[in-house]
Amino acid sequence: MGKTRSLALSAMLIALALGLSYMERFLPLQLLIPLPGVKLGLANIVTLFALYFLGGKSAVQILVIRCALGAMFGGGLTAFFFSITGGVLAMATMALTRRLPFLSIYGVSICGAAAHQTGQVLMAVLLLRSVYVAGYLPALLLISIVTGFLTGAVSAACFRAMIAAQLPFASNMEVSYAGEFD
Amino acid sequence: MREKCKPVRLTLCRGDFLAVCLVLMAAAALIAGWSMGSGGKAASVQIWQDGIWKGEYDLMQDQEIQISGSYQNTVKIQNGRAAIIDSNCPGQDCVKSGWHEDARQSIVCLPNRLELRLVGTEGEPQVDGVTR
Repeated sequence: MGKTRSLALSAMLIALALGLSYMERFLPLQLLIPLPGVKLGLANIVTLFALYFLGGKSAVQILVIRCALGAMFGGGLTAFFFSITGGVLAMATMALTRRLPFLSIYGVSICGAAAHQTGQVLMAVLLLRSVYVAGYLPALLLISIVTGFLTGAVSAACFRAMIAAQLPFASNMEVSYAGEFD
Repeated sequence: MREKCKPVRLTLCRGDFLAVCLVLMAAAALIAGWSMGSGGKAASVQIWQDGIWKGEYDLMQDQEIQISGSYQNTVKIQNGRAAIIDSNCPGQDCVKSGWHEDARQSIVCLPNRLELRLVGTEGEPQVDGVTR
């Protein structure tokens, strides 16, 4: 992929991630589960995509720029610290678990979601200087299984379509069906 | 010319179940560790902001407390329970988290770096308290 093309793709992904996290604010998930930090994590789909198709370097760039812009557009500095620690921890976890041959994108996404929540709670502990805030972590971990599964499912559907369409960035990928590694 | 194919697993497999179990176990371990201390009703609420002690209020005295900082929070204490009933922070997570009455619970407003820590009679959450 050429330099221009790769730049344009990264820019679009950043915009997409920002749009997704903005849209998320309007989902009344908090009414269902009244805990701080509960969200679907739709922007994680973009991180997953970047990791799988563009590689670690682009993925980190997209993540950092997205968090910085998100903070500028209304999150503020506190929100930046939270999204960056959660995001970096999730990305590191997904980059590692992705290499495990016995995990599908669902497993990778669930591990990423759990790491994201852990990162955010860690940040809260640091910021409030109180370990009692960590009492929220078990509930957030349980929720991350559900949200991780959902974002994994969306990603799986997207990836399957992109690989089938042989898009330029997906031309050297192929879908592996369960059973091949077993 | 096509490069070497990178296989991508897009369907659920047994390994994913393992990942779910691992997260469940982590959550269970944390819950177990956390509830080793005490539960029970809280007697008072401590207010911490930016890691700094701001005061302690009896849950038996109905009152409203204003907290300033980057944002404004209104804390209400009523019938042995506490809640943040109003806030001008973005997100409003603190208001949505509602009323709390058990010791060792926290109500937080992250944008305002505020923590309301519900504590038992000892002042500090009891580690050697009654087991449930």
